[in-house]
Amino acid sequence: MGSHRASGATPFALSARQVTKRFPGVLANDHVDFDLLVGEVHTLLGENGAGKSTLASVLCGLYKPDEGAVLRNGTQVRLTSPRHGLQNGIAMVHQHFRLVDRFSVAENVVLGHRSLPFFLRTANLESQVAEVAEKYGLPIDPRATVGELSAGQRQRVEIIKALYQGAEILLLDEPTALLAPPEVEKLFETVRAMTATGKSVVFVSHKLGEVVDISDRITVMRDGRVTGSVARGDADTRQLAELMVGRDIDLTRRSARQSSGETLLDLRNVSVARGGVAIISDITLNVRAGEIVGVAGVSGNGQRDLAELVAGLQTPTSGTITVVGVDTANLGTRKVRAAGLAYVPEDRLGTGLAPSLSIVDNLLLTRERGFLVDRAAAQIEAETFISQLEIKTPSALTPTRKLSGGNSQKVLLAREVFSKGDNSKVIVVCSPTRGLDVGAVETVHKLLDEARASGKAVLLISEDLDEVLTLADRILVLYRGAVVHEAHGDTADVEAIGYAMAGLS
Amino acid sequence: MIVGRTRIEFEPRLSPNRWLLLAVPVASIFFALIVGGVFLLAAGHSALGTYSSLLSNGYTTFDGATRTIGFATPLICTGLAAAFAFRMNLFNIGGEGQMYLGMIGGAWAGIALADYFPKIVAIPLVLIIGSAAGALWVFVPAILRAKMGTSEIVSTLLLNYVALNLVNYFIFGSRGFFRDKSTSFPQGRSVSSNARFGPFGTTNMYPTVLIAIAMALFLYWFIKRSNYGYETSVLADSPNTARYAGMNATRLTLSVLLISGALAGLGGAMYVVGPAGKIDPGLMQVGFGYAGIVVASLARYNFVAVVITAILFAGLRVGGAALQISSKPVPIAIAVVLQGSVLLFALGGEVFRRNRVHIRRVEPVSTATKVAS
Repeated sequence: MGSHRASGATPFALSARQVTKRFPGVLANDHVDFDLLVGEVHTLLGENGAGKSTLASVLCGLYKPDEGAVLRNGTQVRLTSPRHGLQNGIAMVHQHFRLVDRFSVAENVVLGHRSLPFFLRTANLESQVAEVAEKYGLPIDPRATVGELSAGQRQRVEIIKALYQGAEILLLDEPTALLAPPEVEKLFETVRAMTATGKSVVFVSHKLGEVVDISDRITVMRDGRVTGSVARGDADTRQLAELMVGRDIDLTRRSARQSSGETLLDLRNVSVARGGVAIISDITLNVRAGEIVGVAGVSGNGQRDLAELVAGLQTPTSGTITVVGVDTANLGTRKVRAAGLAYVPEDRLGTGLAPSLSIVDNLLLTRERGFLVDRAAAQIEAETFISQLEIKTPSALTPTRKLSGGNSQKVLLAREVFSKGDNSKVIVVCSPTRGLDVGAVETVHKLLDEARASGKAVLLISEDLDEVLTLADRILVLYRGAVVHEAHGDTADVEAIGYAMAGLS
Repeated sequence: MIVGRTRIEFEPRLSPNRWLLLAVPVASIFFALIVGGVFLLAAGHSALGTYSSLLSNGYTTFDGATRTIGFATPLICTGLAAAFAFRMNLFNIGGEGQMYLGMIGGAWAGIALADYFPKIVAIPLVLIIGSAAGALWVFVPAILRAKMGTSEIVSTLLLNYVALNLVNYFIFGSRGFFRDKSTSFPQGRSVSSNARFGPFGTTNMYPTVLIAIAMALFLYWFIKRSNYGYETSVLADSPNTARYAGMNATRLTLSVLLISGALAGLGGAMYVVGPAGKIDPGLMQVGFGYAGIVVASLARYNFVAVVITAILFAGLRVGGAALQISSKPVPIAIAVVLQGSVLLFALGGEVFRRNRVHIRRVEPVSTATKVAS
């Protein structure tokens, strides 16, 4: 880390020194050092939640660091707002665009610019905007309405806006997340055009395969810390993958078992295409009774679609899905549940639970309910769970949004995994510990282990590789909607998995 | 919000304050009375005198109270209609038009069918057909909303004007089925006596008010206890959760709007069964449908509270109307001013119920940073 700092003669356009940023319950940045040279493309690489976006937000003035400093051209600056950052030539293009849909491209570009006259001379602005666009190879019609543009075009508008307002340093947060491959190539050309004129770019990404070509340097983050920094040419993708998934953390890996139980979940050649684009391609997998199968992968590679397919919330374009012997591919979620499926979605409060409804009401969500709802029985059950799982809540009638992440996850698991007794045989669990503190993570893992021990088939879909490695008896890697790697829990080669996750098989 | 050198900050309350649940409505009525008082004084009336006369004419005398309750009957229905839809974040602004359709449907049944049935069948028949007509009137907006997400606010509102002109056409524009042909004065044709309730004694109260109250109590129970109420609560709270649980959002949305329309239609049919006995364009002067929206918001979509709010609201109108014929007539507009002020203050008061309000001095240099969510 930081060996390049010795280069001395070249000034750093932007630096972070020992930047620490805490959010409630999370140490997002832990004494992070970062340096950006003039005219370079420097990538911040890491998994979701590694702290990359937080660091970028500190660098652009959106967040104030709790400790440490931000240096611009070697001098410390105390950025109080993104506008202040912009005054220092630093601009960030967020993953979710901040544009006014009803305004034209030119109007969006000049929006918020301090020195605007009271009456806009539109033609003048449009030609200025077109000029900037031309210079950096960002083809766009300044008169087009932003609401009608594609994601790639909107991103261009954001970049033009930053450049127009005098940015020397651009922080691009997951810029390729919404782009189609040709648009990604176009973006890279723009980035090169910018650095050619002495501007510097920070590229925030979790897509290892993509960033190697564009980057002059790659700094890898994990769990809020910088785990390594590699210059162009030295960038060995294997090494980067390892830095990214980080094997330095000691893992108490549970011994995997080879289950010889009955196959309870069976997917054969399942594919989904939407608008001609393959979302899930030809997935074949099965989960036996008493087994946890872990699906690893970087977010956005079809995890959610896979879970929804099994849960009956989506229908496959082709292939078969069998839950406890019943063909469920086209049944719809209620009947799939009746066949024995339980589903713990990643989004606890907005999908798995109704936030304003009580714990009792939420227990009833995936039950058969008659014409009248029997809350008395559910309340007794809720109170049992509250004591058994040590759910911290004022009462069983408390709305679930008032619970902490860990406690609401316990409610969700209680309903999906335990309350239905022997009825639920197949459990699909998505990122069950995302955002939870250590204690809650442990409880959730224990509960999933218990489910396995009681002979349920568990499909664990998680972006947290540690979690998959800790829990799974078998591991599959999902990349661009396809299973690209398979391993046994005990003999899994972490490096190979990290490699597969990055799409470098 | 920054005013001068102080900054007013709103911090959301994590748990509701029960005390404020009562204090906010009371305070909003108090402030509304002050606003109304300013107008009264400006018009040269005594504020206190007017209010005490409003109170006795609208609420505290036997005549006033029964008149008010009778007047409130359709308002309870339109209030329930609005509350039923609002509970699910559906804004049925078309209660007014659906109520007219209820009146038309009810009058049709009362003229065409009621003669063939005994009273005990005929009256429910009129009410049911009126409700069905109200539901029918919201059907197109409902299906557009449920299937395609078209704003029901605009579509239901616009249909109010269509319904209004429909009533005008039947009574003033044509000499057709609904028009009383025995006189050249344009008025509605009376329904069969089988289709009508008589009032209680010499009051202006009709048994329909009991049906309206029973309906409110039923809905209160039904939404609390039934699976339908449960599913609508989930869908209103979190559409993703409803989808996850396999609920049919399209069907729920459609049915909620249809029931809302039926409730408004019931109000119109009750007007036929009770005081009017025919299509009465006078109903269109009152604006029960729009007032129902106000009543529902003040009642915070609680069906039982709708009944109470509707009666309180009706009292303002009844008492206000009585002021017009006093020795020094006060215009009815003052009652409307009061209604509007109560609503404004009640809705404004929500801010205090939901948030803690802090007033702080602004530091010389603002160093506020925005934090992205």
